[in-house]
Amino acid sequence: MATDVSPAEAAAARRETLADLFVVDADVHVHEDPAALAEYADPPWDVGLREIAKVEERYLDLPGVSPRAEYRVPFPGGSNRRQIVTSAQELRAGLDDLHVDQAVLFPDHLLSLAMVRDPAFAATLARSYNRWLHEHWLTEDRSLKGALVIAPQAPAAGAADIRRHAGRGEFVCVYLPAAGLKVLYGHELYDPVYAAAADAGLPVVIHSVEAVYPAFPFQLEQFRTSLAVHALAHPLSMVANLVSMLETGVHVRHPELKIGFMEAGTAWVPFLANRLDKEYVERRREVPLLQERPSRTMRRFFYGTQPIEEPERRADVVALFELFDGENQAMFASDWPHHDFDHPQHVFGLPFSREARRKIMGLNAARFFGLDVSA
Amino acid sequence: MPREHPIGRVEDFPESGHRVVRVANRELGVFNIRGSFHALPNLCPHQRGPLCEGDVSGTLDCGPHTDWKLAWIWEGEVVTCPWHALEFHVPTGRCVAFDHIRLRTYEVRVADGELRVVI
Repeated sequence: MATDVSPAEAAAARRETLADLFVVDADVHVHEDPAALAEYADPPWDVGLREIAKVEERYLDLPGVSPRAEYRVPFPGGSNRRQIVTSAQELRAGLDDLHVDQAVLFPDHLLSLAMVRDPAFAATLARSYNRWLHEHWLTEDRSLKGALVIAPQAPAAGAADIRRHAGRGEFVCVYLPAAGLKVLYGHELYDPVYAAAADAGLPVVIHSVEAVYPAFPFQLEQFRTSLAVHALAHPLSMVANLVSMLETGVHVRHPELKIGFMEAGTAWVPFLANRLDKEYVERRREVPLLQERPSRTMRRFFYGTQPIEEPERRADVVALFELFDGENQAMFASDWPHHDFDHPQHVFGLPFSREARRKIMGLNAARFFGLDVSA
Repeated sequence: MPREHPIGRVEDFPESGHRVVRVANRELGVFNIRGSFHALPNLCPHQRGPLCEGDVSGTLDCGPHTDWKLAWIWEGEVVTCPWHALEFHVPTGRCVAFDHIRLRTYEVRVADGELRVVI
Protein backbone atom coordinates (compact mmCIF):
# COMPACT_ATOMS: atom_id res chain seq x y z
CA MET A 1 0.00 0.00 0.00
CA ALA A 2 1.31 3.46 -0.90
CA THR A 3 2.25 5.58 2.09
CA ASP A 4 2.84 8.88 0.28
CA VAL A 5 -0.48 10.65 0.46
CA SER A 6 -0.87 14.28 -0.48
CA PRO A 7 -2.75 16.50 1.97
CA ALA A 8 -5.53 16.87 -0.59
CA GLU A 9 -5.87 13.12 -0.93
CA ALA A 10 -5.79 12.71 2.81
CA ALA A 11 -8.52 15.29 3.18
CA ALA A 12 -10.57 13.60 0.49
CA ALA A 13 -10.12 10.27 2.19
CA ARG A 14 -11.28 11.59 5.50
CA ARG A 15 -15.01 11.78 5.69
CA GLU A 16 -16.14 15.39 5.86
CA THR A 17 -18.40 16.19 8.78
CA LEU A 18 -20.68 19.10 9.50
CA ALA A 19 -18.10 20.49 11.92
CA ASP A 20 -15.60 20.79 9.03
CA LEU A 21 -17.85 23.14 7.06
CA PHE A 22 -18.51 26.84 7.26
CA VAL A 23 -22.17 26.76 8.23
CA VAL A 24 -24.44 29.75 7.93
CA ASP A 25 -27.95 29.56 9.25
CA ALA A 26 -29.92 32.01 7.12
CA ASP A 27 -32.98 32.07 9.37
CA VAL A 28 -33.10 31.89 13.15
CA HIS A 29 -35.58 33.68 15.37
CA VAL A 30 -35.15 35.81 18.47
CA HIS A 31 -37.95 36.47 20.91
CA GLU A 32 -38.73 40.11 21.33
CA ASP A 33 -40.22 41.26 24.57
CA PRO A 34 -42.69 44.19 24.40
CA ALA A 35 -41.33 45.67 27.63
CA ALA A 36 -37.81 45.70 26.16
CA LEU A 37 -39.04 47.31 22.92
CA ALA A 38 -40.86 49.95 24.99
CA GLU A 39 -37.46 51.26 26.10
CA TYR A 40 -36.77 52.26 22.49
CA ALA A 41 -40.28 53.25 21.36
CA ASP A 42 -41.47 56.75 20.56
CA PRO A 43 -44.19 58.18 22.84
CA PRO A 44 -46.98 57.35 23.28
CA TRP A 45 -46.29 53.88 21.89
CA ASP A 46 -43.91 53.09 24.77
CA VAL A 47 -46.89 53.36 27.12
CA GLY A 48 -48.91 50.99 24.93
CA LEU A 49 -46.09 48.47 24.73
CA ARG A 50 -45.77 48.38 28.53
CA GLU A 51 -49.49 47.64 28.71
CA ILE A 52 -49.13 44.87 26.12
CA ALA A 53 -46.30 43.41 28.22
CA LYS A 54 -48.85 42.65 30.96
CA VAL A 55 -50.78 40.32 28.66
CA GLU A 56 -49.86 36.66 28.67
CA GLU A 57 -48.47 35.78 25.27
CA ARG A 58 -48.74 32.53 23.36
CA TYR A 59 -46.45 31.15 20.67
CA LEU A 60 -46.14 33.87 18.01
CA ASP A 61 -49.37 35.33 19.27
CA LEU A 62 -49.41 38.59 21.23
CA PRO A 63 -52.44 40.92 21.16
CA GLY A 64 -51.69 44.23 19.50
CA VAL A 65 -48.28 43.20 18.19
CA SER A 66 -48.85 39.93 16.38
CA PRO A 67 -52.59 39.67 15.71
CA ARG A 68 -52.51 36.21 14.22
CA ALA A 69 -56.15 35.23 14.78
CA GLU A 70 -55.34 31.83 16.19
CA TYR A 71 -58.36 29.56 15.89
CA ARG A 72 -56.85 26.20 16.70
CA VAL A 73 -58.30 24.11 19.50
CA PRO A 74 -55.46 22.97 21.76
CA PHE A 75 -55.21 19.33 22.84
CA PRO A 76 -52.75 17.91 25.36
CA GLY A 77 -49.44 16.68 23.99
CA GLY A 78 -47.33 18.04 21.17
CA SER A 79 -43.72 19.11 21.34
CA ASN A 80 -42.45 20.09 24.80
CA ARG A 81 -39.32 21.77 23.42
CA ARG A 82 -38.76 25.44 24.26
CA GLN A 83 -39.49 27.26 20.99
CA ILE A 84 -38.31 30.74 21.87
CA VAL A 85 -34.85 32.18 22.52
CA THR A 86 -34.53 35.25 24.73
CA SER A 87 -30.82 36.09 24.85
CA ALA A 88 -27.74 36.11 22.64
CA GLN A 89 -26.01 33.67 25.00
CA GLU A 90 -28.90 31.24 24.87
CA LEU A 91 -29.02 31.48 21.08
CA ARG A 92 -25.27 31.01 20.69
CA ALA A 93 -25.41 27.89 22.88
CA GLY A 94 -28.21 26.46 20.75
CA LEU A 95 -26.34 27.26 17.53
CA ASP A 96 -23.18 25.64 18.91
CA ASP A 97 -25.14 22.43 19.34
CA LEU A 98 -26.23 22.75 15.71
CA HIS A 99 -22.64 23.43 14.46
CA VAL A 100 -23.73 26.80 13.06
CA ASP A 101 -20.91 29.32 12.62
CA GLN A 102 -22.92 32.42 11.73
CA ALA A 103 -26.64 33.06 11.83
CA VAL A 104 -29.05 35.67 10.54
CA LEU A 105 -31.59 36.78 13.13
CA PHE A 106 -35.25 37.34 12.34
CA PRO A 107 -37.96 38.28 14.84
CA ASP A 108 -40.77 36.25 16.40
CA HIS A 109 -43.78 38.52 16.90
CA LEU A 110 -42.73 40.94 14.18
CA LEU A 111 -43.25 38.16 11.65
CA SER A 112 -46.81 39.49 11.80
CA LEU A 113 -45.80 43.14 11.51
CA ALA A 114 -47.70 43.69 8.24
CA MET A 115 -50.94 43.00 10.11
CA VAL A 116 -50.46 45.81 12.62
CA ARG A 117 -53.09 48.36 11.66
CA ASP A 118 -51.60 51.68 12.70
CA PRO A 119 -48.72 52.57 10.38
CA ALA A 120 -47.12 54.80 13.02
CA PHE A 121 -47.15 51.98 15.58
CA ALA A 122 -45.83 49.54 12.97
CA ALA A 123 -42.97 51.90 12.12
CA THR A 124 -42.16 52.37 15.81
CA LEU A 125 -42.16 48.63 16.39
CA ALA A 126 -39.70 48.12 13.52
CA ARG A 127 -37.42 50.97 14.56
CA SER A 128 -37.43 49.91 18.23
CA TYR A 129 -36.78 46.31 17.35
CA ASN A 130 -33.81 47.21 15.16
CA ARG A 131 -32.18 49.26 17.93
CA TRP A 132 -32.95 46.60 20.55
CA LEU A 133 -31.59 43.85 18.29
CA HIS A 134 -28.45 45.83 17.62
CA GLU A 135 -27.70 46.55 21.26
CA HIS A 136 -28.73 43.28 22.88
CA TRP A 137 -27.85 40.68 20.28
CA LEU A 138 -25.64 41.84 17.40
CA THR A 139 -23.00 43.64 19.45
CA GLU A 140 -23.22 40.90 22.09
CA ASP A 141 -21.99 38.20 19.71
CA ARG A 142 -20.40 39.00 16.35
CA SER A 143 -21.43 35.67 14.85
CA LEU A 144 -25.05 36.82 15.11
CA LYS A 145 -26.14 38.97 12.17
CA GLY A 146 -29.29 41.00 11.92
CA ALA A 147 -32.18 41.18 9.50
CA LEU A 148 -33.30 44.80 9.64
CA VAL A 149 -37.07 44.98 9.96
CA ILE A 150 -39.13 47.47 7.98
CA ALA A 151 -42.86 48.04 8.32
CA PRO A 152 -44.48 47.77 4.88
CA GLN A 153 -47.19 50.17 6.12
CA ALA A 154 -44.54 52.92 6.35
CA PRO A 155 -41.99 52.54 3.54
CA ALA A 156 -40.41 55.98 4.03
CA ALA A 157 -39.75 55.23 7.69
CA GLY A 158 -38.29 51.87 6.69
CA ALA A 159 -35.99 53.48 4.14
CA ALA A 160 -34.82 55.98 6.77
CA ASP A 161 -34.08 53.16 9.21
CA ILE A 162 -32.06 51.31 6.55
CA ARG A 163 -30.00 54.44 5.94
CA ARG A 164 -29.59 54.94 9.71
CA HIS A 165 -28.04 51.50 10.13
CA ALA A 166 -26.26 51.36 6.75
CA GLY A 167 -22.56 50.68 6.78
CA ARG A 168 -22.67 48.75 10.02
CA GLY A 169 -21.67 45.17 9.46
CA GLU A 170 -24.15 43.95 12.04
CA PHE A 171 -27.17 44.06 9.75
CA VAL A 172 -26.83 41.87 6.66
CA CYS A 173 -30.25 42.10 5.05
CA VAL A 174 -33.58 43.89 5.11
CA TYR A 175 -36.51 41.73 6.15
CA LEU A 176 -39.83 42.27 4.36
CA PRO A 177 -42.75 40.79 6.34
CA ALA A 178 -45.16 38.99 4.03
CA ALA A 179 -47.98 37.63 6.21
CA GLY A 180 -51.07 39.78 5.97
CA LEU A 181 -49.41 42.14 3.53
CA LYS A 182 -51.97 44.51 2.02
CA VAL A 183 -49.90 45.69 -0.93
CA LEU A 184 -47.64 43.11 -2.53
CA TYR A 185 -43.94 43.83 -2.79
CA GLY A 186 -43.97 44.55 -6.50
CA HIS A 187 -45.69 47.90 -5.92
CA GLU A 188 -43.71 51.07 -6.59
CA LEU A 189 -44.57 52.40 -3.13
CA TYR A 190 -41.75 50.18 -1.83
CA ASP A 191 -39.19 51.76 -4.16
CA PRO A 192 -37.70 53.90 -1.35
CA VAL A 193 -37.03 50.72 0.62
CA TYR A 194 -35.42 48.98 -2.35
CA ALA A 195 -33.34 52.04 -3.22
CA ALA A 196 -32.10 52.35 0.37
CA ALA A 197 -31.31 48.65 0.56
CA ALA A 198 -29.45 48.69 -2.74
CA ASP A 199 -27.50 51.80 -1.69
CA ALA A 200 -26.58 50.11 1.60
CA GLY A 201 -25.57 46.93 -0.22
CA LEU A 202 -28.17 44.98 1.74
CA PRO A 203 -30.26 42.22 0.15
CA VAL A 204 -33.98 42.02 0.89
CA VAL A 205 -35.51 38.83 2.28
CA ILE A 206 -39.21 38.05 2.16
CA HIS A 207 -40.40 35.94 5.08
CA SER A 208 -43.96 34.93 5.91
CA VAL A 209 -45.67 33.24 8.86
CA GLU A 210 -48.71 31.08 9.44
CA ALA A 211 -51.70 33.30 10.07
CA VAL A 212 -55.35 33.67 9.19
CA TYR A 213 -55.89 37.18 7.97
CA PRO A 214 -58.21 38.68 5.39
CA ALA A 215 -55.53 39.92 3.02
CA PHE A 216 -54.11 38.35 -0.12
CA PRO A 217 -52.33 35.95 -0.39
CA PHE A 218 -53.98 34.46 2.65
CA GLN A 219 -57.76 34.15 2.86
CA LEU A 220 -57.08 30.90 4.60
CA GLU A 221 -60.09 31.06 6.90
CA GLN A 222 -61.81 28.29 4.96
CA PHE A 223 -59.37 25.72 6.24
CA ARG A 224 -59.86 23.96 9.56
CA THR A 225 -56.40 22.80 10.45
CA SER A 226 -52.88 24.08 10.85
CA LEU A 227 -51.79 21.41 8.41
CA ALA A 228 -53.70 23.23 5.68
CA VAL A 229 -52.99 26.79 6.75
CA HIS A 230 -49.28 26.30 7.42
CA ALA A 231 -48.78 24.27 4.22
CA LEU A 232 -50.20 27.09 2.13
CA ALA A 233 -49.42 30.30 4.03
CA HIS A 234 -45.68 30.30 3.44
CA PRO A 235 -45.37 29.21 -0.20
CA LEU A 236 -48.44 31.20 -1.30
CA SER A 237 -46.89 34.31 0.21
CA MET A 238 -43.68 33.66 -1.68
CA VAL A 239 -45.42 32.84 -4.96
CA ALA A 240 -47.62 35.95 -4.75
CA ASN A 241 -44.81 38.33 -3.88
CA LEU A 242 -42.34 36.89 -6.35
CA VAL A 243 -44.88 37.17 -9.18
CA SER A 244 -45.74 40.71 -8.09
CA MET A 245 -42.06 41.74 -8.02
CA LEU A 246 -41.41 40.07 -11.33
CA GLU A 247 -44.36 41.61 -13.19
CA THR A 248 -43.43 45.13 -12.10
CA GLY A 249 -39.73 44.46 -12.64
CA VAL A 250 -38.33 45.25 -9.17
CA HIS A 251 -35.14 43.51 -10.29
CA VAL A 252 -35.04 45.67 -13.42
CA ARG A 253 -35.69 48.93 -11.60
CA HIS A 254 -33.16 48.01 -8.89
CA PRO A 255 -30.57 45.90 -10.70
CA GLU A 256 -28.15 45.93 -7.76
CA LEU A 257 -30.74 44.58 -5.34
CA LYS A 258 -30.35 40.98 -4.21
CA ILE A 259 -33.63 39.25 -3.39
CA GLY A 260 -34.21 36.21 -1.18
CA PHE A 261 -37.18 34.11 -0.15
CA MET A 262 -37.28 32.43 3.24
CA GLU A 263 -39.12 29.62 4.99
CA ALA A 264 -41.26 28.21 2.24
CA GLY A 265 -39.05 25.29 1.19
CA THR A 266 -38.06 25.26 -2.47
CA ALA A 267 -40.42 22.88 -4.25
CA TRP A 268 -42.57 25.83 -5.31
CA VAL A 269 -39.66 27.44 -7.20
CA PRO A 270 -39.49 25.10 -10.23
CA PHE A 271 -43.29 25.04 -10.39
CA LEU A 272 -43.48 28.82 -10.58
CA ALA A 273 -40.52 29.16 -12.95
CA ASN A 274 -42.15 26.77 -15.41
CA ARG A 275 -45.54 28.39 -15.07
CA LEU A 276 -44.17 31.89 -15.65
CA ASP A 277 -42.04 30.81 -18.58
CA LYS A 278 -45.15 29.39 -20.18
CA GLU A 279 -47.06 32.65 -19.65
CA TYR A 280 -44.12 34.67 -20.92
CA VAL A 281 -44.33 33.00 -24.30
CA GLU A 282 -47.81 34.33 -24.87
CA ARG A 283 -47.88 37.51 -22.77
CA ARG A 284 -44.43 39.03 -23.04
CA ARG A 285 -45.87 42.23 -24.42
CA GLU A 286 -47.52 42.90 -21.04
CA VAL A 287 -44.14 42.82 -19.32
CA PRO A 288 -41.80 44.34 -21.87
CA LEU A 289 -39.37 45.43 -19.17
CA LEU A 290 -38.48 41.79 -18.67
CA GLN A 291 -35.57 40.95 -20.92
CA GLU A 292 -35.45 37.24 -20.32
CA ARG A 293 -37.54 34.22 -19.44
CA PRO A 294 -38.77 34.55 -15.85
CA SER A 295 -36.97 31.33 -14.89
CA ARG A 296 -33.65 32.99 -15.74
CA THR A 297 -34.46 35.86 -13.40
CA MET A 298 -35.58 33.46 -10.72
CA ARG A 299 -32.22 31.72 -10.91
CA ARG A 300 -30.62 34.89 -9.59
CA PHE A 301 -32.87 35.01 -6.54
CA PHE A 302 -31.88 33.14 -3.40
CA TYR A 303 -33.97 30.64 -1.46
CA GLY A 304 -33.80 29.39 2.12
CA THR A 305 -33.89 25.60 2.40
CA GLN A 306 -36.22 25.38 5.36
CA PRO A 307 -38.53 23.52 5.65
CA ILE A 308 -36.42 21.12 3.61
CA GLU A 309 -38.53 18.79 1.48
CA GLU A 310 -38.70 15.24 2.81
CA PRO A 311 -39.71 13.05 -0.14
CA GLU A 312 -39.84 9.29 0.24
CA ARG A 313 -36.76 9.07 -2.00
CA ARG A 314 -34.19 11.38 -0.44
CA ALA A 315 -32.34 11.76 -3.72
CA ASP A 316 -35.39 13.61 -5.06
CA VAL A 317 -34.21 16.64 -3.07
CA VAL A 318 -31.04 16.69 -5.17
CA ALA A 319 -33.13 16.47 -8.33
CA LEU A 320 -35.35 19.27 -7.05
CA PHE A 321 -32.36 21.53 -6.41
CA GLU A 322 -31.08 20.91 -9.94
CA LEU A 323 -34.31 22.39 -11.28
CA PHE A 324 -33.61 25.86 -9.87
CA ASP A 325 -29.81 25.84 -9.53
CA GLY A 326 -30.13 25.27 -5.82
CA GLU A 327 -26.45 24.37 -5.71
CA ASN A 328 -25.72 28.08 -6.13
CA GLN A 329 -28.93 29.75 -4.96
CA ALA A 330 -30.11 27.73 -1.94
CA MET A 331 -29.06 28.73 1.55
CA PHE A 332 -29.29 26.43 4.52
CA ALA A 333 -31.77 27.76 7.06
CA SER A 334 -32.88 26.03 10.24
CA ASP A 335 -35.69 28.30 11.49
CA TRP A 336 -34.33 27.56 14.97
CA PRO A 337 -35.93 27.43 17.55
CA HIS A 338 -39.35 27.22 15.91
CA HIS A 339 -41.58 24.17 15.82
CA ASP A 340 -40.58 23.07 12.32
CA PHE A 341 -36.83 23.76 12.45
CA ASP A 342 -34.47 21.66 10.32
CA HIS A 343 -31.37 20.24 11.94
CA PRO A 344 -28.32 21.07 9.77
CA GLN A 345 -27.14 17.49 10.10
CA HIS A 346 -30.22 16.42 8.18
CA VAL A 347 -29.58 18.77 5.25
CA PHE A 348 -25.86 18.02 5.37
CA GLY A 349 -26.67 14.32 5.11
CA LEU A 350 -28.63 14.61 1.86
CA PRO A 351 -26.87 13.10 -1.16
CA PHE A 352 -25.50 16.34 -2.61
CA SER A 353 -22.03 16.49 -4.13
CA ARG A 354 -19.34 17.62 -1.74
CA GLU A 355 -19.04 20.96 -3.54
CA ALA A 356 -22.79 21.56 -3.61
CA ARG A 357 -23.04 20.72 0.06
CA ARG A 358 -20.44 23.32 1.01
CA LYS A 359 -22.23 25.98 -0.99
CA ILE A 360 -25.66 25.15 0.34
CA MET A 361 -24.54 24.89 3.96
CA GLY A 362 -22.77 28.25 4.02
CA LEU A 363 -21.00 29.67 0.99
CA ASN A 364 -24.15 30.69 -0.88
CA ALA A 365 -25.38 32.56 2.19
CA ALA A 366 -21.97 34.21 2.56
CA ARG A 367 -22.29 35.45 -1.01
CA PHE A 368 -25.87 36.64 -0.52
CA PHE A 369 -25.43 38.34 2.87
CA GLY A 370 -21.85 39.45 2.28
CA LEU A 371 -20.44 37.48 5.20
CA ASP A 372 -16.78 37.03 5.97
CA VAL A 373 -16.06 33.34 5.44
CA SER A 374 -12.82 33.50 7.43
CA ALA A 375 -14.51 35.01 10.52
CA MET B 1 -28.16 -14.09 22.91
CA PRO B 2 -30.48 -11.53 24.52
CA ARG B 3 -29.43 -10.52 27.98
CA GLU B 4 -31.15 -8.76 30.89
CA HIS B 5 -29.64 -5.39 31.81
CA PRO B 6 -30.68 -3.82 35.13
CA ILE B 7 -31.82 -0.20 34.80
CA GLY B 8 -33.05 0.68 38.30
CA ARG B 9 -35.62 0.00 40.98
CA VAL B 10 -39.29 -0.28 40.11
CA GLU B 11 -40.08 2.67 42.37
CA ASP B 12 -37.80 4.83 40.21
CA PHE B 13 -40.29 4.42 37.34
CA PRO B 14 -43.66 5.55 38.73
CA GLU B 15 -46.89 5.02 36.85
CA SER B 16 -47.53 7.46 33.96
CA GLY B 17 -43.90 8.51 34.05
CA HIS B 18 -41.05 7.92 31.68
CA ARG B 19 -37.38 8.72 31.51
CA VAL B 20 -34.31 8.10 29.42
CA VAL B 21 -31.70 5.59 30.60
CA ARG B 22 -28.32 4.63 29.19
CA VAL B 23 -27.84 0.92 28.96
CA ALA B 24 -25.61 -1.36 26.88
CA ASN B 25 -24.33 1.55 24.80
CA ARG B 26 -27.84 2.67 23.99
CA GLU B 27 -30.19 5.41 25.11
CA LEU B 28 -33.64 4.06 25.77
CA GLY B 29 -36.83 5.70 26.93
CA VAL B 30 -38.50 3.61 29.63
CA PHE B 31 -42.22 4.11 30.14
CA ASN B 32 -44.58 2.97 32.88
CA ILE B 33 -48.05 2.83 31.37
CA ARG B 34 -50.60 1.73 33.97
CA GLY B 35 -48.04 -0.54 35.63
CA SER B 36 -46.78 -2.06 32.41
CA PHE B 37 -43.24 -1.23 31.34
CA HIS B 38 -42.07 -0.44 27.82
CA ALA B 39 -38.81 0.71 26.30
CA LEU B 40 -38.07 2.45 22.99
CA PRO B 41 -34.89 3.88 21.43
CA ASN B 42 -34.36 7.55 22.31
CA LEU B 43 -33.86 8.36 18.65
CA CYS B 44 -36.47 9.70 16.30
CA PRO B 45 -36.12 8.28 12.76
CA HIS B 46 -37.22 11.61 11.28
CA GLN B 47 -34.26 13.93 11.96
CA ARG B 48 -32.65 11.95 14.80
CA GLY B 49 -34.15 13.99 17.63
CA PRO B 50 -34.25 12.77 21.27
CA LEU B 51 -37.67 11.20 20.93
CA CYS B 52 -38.15 9.95 24.48
CA GLU B 53 -37.40 13.32 26.03
CA GLY B 54 -40.79 14.34 24.69
CA ASP B 55 -44.07 14.40 26.57
CA VAL B 56 -46.51 11.51 26.78
CA SER B 57 -50.18 12.09 26.03
CA GLY B 58 -53.01 10.58 24.02
CA THR B 59 -53.72 11.53 20.44
CA LEU B 60 -56.55 12.25 18.05
CA ASP B 61 -58.02 9.74 15.65
CA CYS B 62 -60.71 9.79 12.99
CA GLY B 63 -61.96 7.41 10.33
CA PRO B 64 -64.70 4.96 9.52
CA HIS B 65 -63.93 3.19 12.81
CA THR B 66 -64.78 6.39 14.72
CA ASP B 67 -67.80 7.09 12.56
CA TRP B 68 -65.79 9.95 11.02
CA LYS B 69 -65.81 11.79 14.32
CA LEU B 70 -62.71 13.09 16.08
CA ALA B 71 -61.78 10.81 18.94
CA TRP B 72 -59.16 11.10 21.68
CA ILE B 73 -57.36 7.76 21.89
CA TRP B 74 -54.37 6.08 23.51
CA GLU B 75 -54.30 8.40 26.53
CA GLY B 76 -50.91 8.02 28.20
CA GLU B 77 -49.53 5.84 25.40
CA VAL B 78 -48.16 8.29 22.85
CA VAL B 79 -44.74 9.91 23.05
CA THR B 80 -44.15 13.03 20.94
CA CYS B 81 -40.68 13.94 19.71
CA PRO B 82 -39.64 17.30 21.15
CA TRP B 83 -38.02 18.31 17.87
CA HIS B 84 -40.83 18.08 15.32
CA ALA B 85 -43.73 16.47 17.19
CA LEU B 86 -43.72 13.15 15.32
CA GLU B 87 -45.81 10.76 17.46
CA PHE B 88 -45.15 7.15 18.40
CA HIS B 89 -47.40 4.62 20.10
CA VAL B 90 -45.21 3.45 22.94
CA PRO B 91 -46.49 -0.11 23.49
CA THR B 92 -46.06 -1.06 19.82
CA GLY B 93 -43.36 1.37 18.66
CA ARG B 94 -45.64 2.30 15.80
CA CYS B 95 -45.23 5.73 14.28
CA VAL B 96 -48.70 7.27 14.34
CA ALA B 97 -48.23 9.31 11.15
CA PHE B 98 -46.32 6.71 9.10
CA ASP B 99 -47.64 3.26 9.78
CA HIS B 100 -44.76 1.53 8.03
CA ILE B 101 -42.26 2.97 10.49
CA ARG B 102 -41.93 0.82 13.59
CA LEU B 103 -39.41 1.48 16.29
CA ARG B 104 -37.72 -1.44 17.93
CA THR B 105 -39.38 -2.16 21.25
CA TYR B 106 -37.47 -3.70 24.12
CA GLU B 107 -38.94 -6.09 26.63
CA VAL B 108 -38.75 -4.83 30.20
CA ARG B 109 -38.91 -7.42 33.00
CA VAL B 110 -39.45 -6.95 36.72
CA ALA B 111 -37.52 -9.20 39.10
CA ASP B 112 -36.79 -8.69 42.80
CA GLY B 113 -38.07 -5.11 42.62
CA GLU B 114 -35.63 -4.37 39.84
CA LEU B 115 -36.34 -3.35 36.26
CA ARG B 116 -34.35 -5.14 33.59
CA VAL B 117 -34.39 -4.39 29.89
CA VAL B 118 -33.79 -7.27 27.52
CA ILE B 119 -31.29 -6.49 24.77
